[in-house]
Amino acid sequence: MSTAGNSARKGHVQIRDVSVRFGTKGQMTEAASRVSLEVKPGEFVSIIGPSGCGKSTLLNIVAGFIRPSEGEALLDGKPIGGPGADRGVVFQQYSLFPWMTVRRNVEFGLKMQGLGRNQRESAARTLLGMTGLLSFENHYPDQLSGGMKQRVGIVRALATSPQVMLMDEPFGALDSQTRAVMQEILTNMWQQLQLSVLFITHDIEEAIFLSEKVYVMTARPGRIKAEVPIPLPRPRTPEMTASPTFQALVRQLKALIREESLAAMGGELDGGGLRGMDRQFARDGMKALT
Amino acid sequence: MSTATQRLFHEVPEHGEPAEAVPPRGLARPEEILRPPLPVPAASAVMPGPSERAWQVLRQHAPAYLMGACSLLGIVLFWHVATTYRLDFYIRFANIPTPMEVLSKVVEVNSSPKFIKNVGMSLRRIFIGFAIATVLGVALGMLIGRYRLTRGFLFPATEVFRPIPAIAWVPISIMLWPDNEVSIVFITFIGAFFPILLNTISGVQAVDGVLLRASQCLGARERQIMWYVVLPGAAPQIFTGLAVGMGVAWVSLIAAEMISGQFGIGYFTWEAYSLISYPEIVLGMITIGVLGLLCSGLIRFIGKSMMPWLGYGARAGSIR
Repeated sequence: MSTAGNSARKGHVQIRDVSVRFGTKGQMTEAASRVSLEVKPGEFVSIIGPSGCGKSTLLNIVAGFIRPSEGEALLDGKPIGGPGADRGVVFQQYSLFPWMTVRRNVEFGLKMQGLGRNQRESAARTLLGMTGLLSFENHYPDQLSGGMKQRVGIVRALATSPQVMLMDEPFGALDSQTRAVMQEILTNMWQQLQLSVLFITHDIEEAIFLSEKVYVMTARPGRIKAEVPIPLPRPRTPEMTASPTFQALVRQLKALIREESLAAMGGELDGGGLRGMDRQFARDGMKALT
Repeated sequence: MSTATQRLFHEVPEHGEPAEAVPPRGLARPEEILRPPLPVPAASAVMPGPSERAWQVLRQHAPAYLMGACSLLGIVLFWHVATTYRLDFYIRFANIPTPMEVLSKVVEVNSSPKFIKNVGMSLRRIFIGFAIATVLGVALGMLIGRYRLTRGFLFPATEVFRPIPAIAWVPISIMLWPDNEVSIVFITFIGAFFPILLNTISGVQAVDGVLLRASQCLGARERQIMWYVVLPGAAPQIFTGLAVGMGVAWVSLIAAEMISGQFGIGYFTWEAYSLISYPEIVLGMITIGVLGLLCSGLIRFIGKSMMPWLGYGARAGSIR
């Protein structure tokens, strides 16, 4: 990824010292606290953390749905003002328009840009053909399986050629086999298109398999607990998940996450022994890596 | 190609994947997660001939038709027995015309231009009043459902007027409008307006937020969101409002015609009562029923053909 001209490429996401607070003064909850992270142009970055840690909040800031209470969010050096077609978003819930056929869904972004019918149609058909969905172009979303719906969702987000893809647990609702295939499709797609991707998940293996870099977040209020580079070679294959490096990364991240999950549950499970064991686990993981 | 090979060719690609869908380079194996889609009649492997299909449709719907016919026949039979023998058990059938009397009236009246004109007038009033109610109800409903400002200004006002039944508007309406015709159309409008408005509002508010956000991420501006996302998203409930509104429009129209009408099927029915022409009363009632049925059937038909996606959703097939 360290080719010359990287700096000229677009899709550079920066979050600097961002805090997000919800609610009124009496009952203020802090969803994220002084978070800084970066997605370089063409980089695949995941955020993992216990549920409710503000992962999705960070994604929503980059998407332009939420403004940070403090700090700044930048896309290619400019502050993010609101949602726009330069950032494709794939949601966890299937977000296809049920009243449009698959092709109409994919065409939607292009239609909003004012592209003519013929151009839209051929662009959508090309993308659907690339992903093996062309024979379903005239189906309605309710006629498709979950995996296919989500694939259409990804294709739809790609149609306007965004520089950044934001994915909020996109495979969370899929069964594990479908999920594995979707991860492979995504990693191949990413390699071809060279997009910046910010990927939210709570699945450790998924994060490692897909990413160049994984951010681990703490329990609420969400902070960045660790930034873990993933030194696995490309292209990624399913066989890699059995490799010692991969397994070491899994152990390391699992330990980091478990510590946070316990913290998220508060004092209920605050067994000192458990915590100590997890620290040991994390150290082992690091040792195996180095 | 013989039918046998045709069938073979239709059956071989189990996942329905044509050759051009094979992805280039690394994008392999999408077919693994391709499931055959839910059955679509047009794509079925063996296409039945038209007569075969008609037979299938008939067989599928025959029990429903049979049940419907039985219940209708039962009502007519009871009506016939009760009126022929002039039953009197608290309810008095002595003055009620028999089915045969009404039937002969139907034949007689269908060749009279006066009756046809009455029906035409009622339909015209329904059409105009309902059309205005649809345009205003949907437009205001979308504004009230989506924007806090319009909701703040308009919703309290509509809530004040809503509990007043359309019939209660009759005296004021006669005073308000320059002629009788307009005031009857106005009553019809009032009747249809509120169900359409309220259903549109709740339909707009029920549009899935993730769809709104998705459209924003795809670059849709507010006006485009309203037209391409909010309107179709609320459409199923808007059509519910239209169906209910059509029913109330007929109720209001008939009442208005009976009170202040000249012409119209409601006027016809009331006039028959004044003239002691009992078979015509029943004829008027049946005509109103049939017209109402046709109108709501038309709305259902339009709704179905405008919203073809609804046949595949989770709601399809929930009746036991």
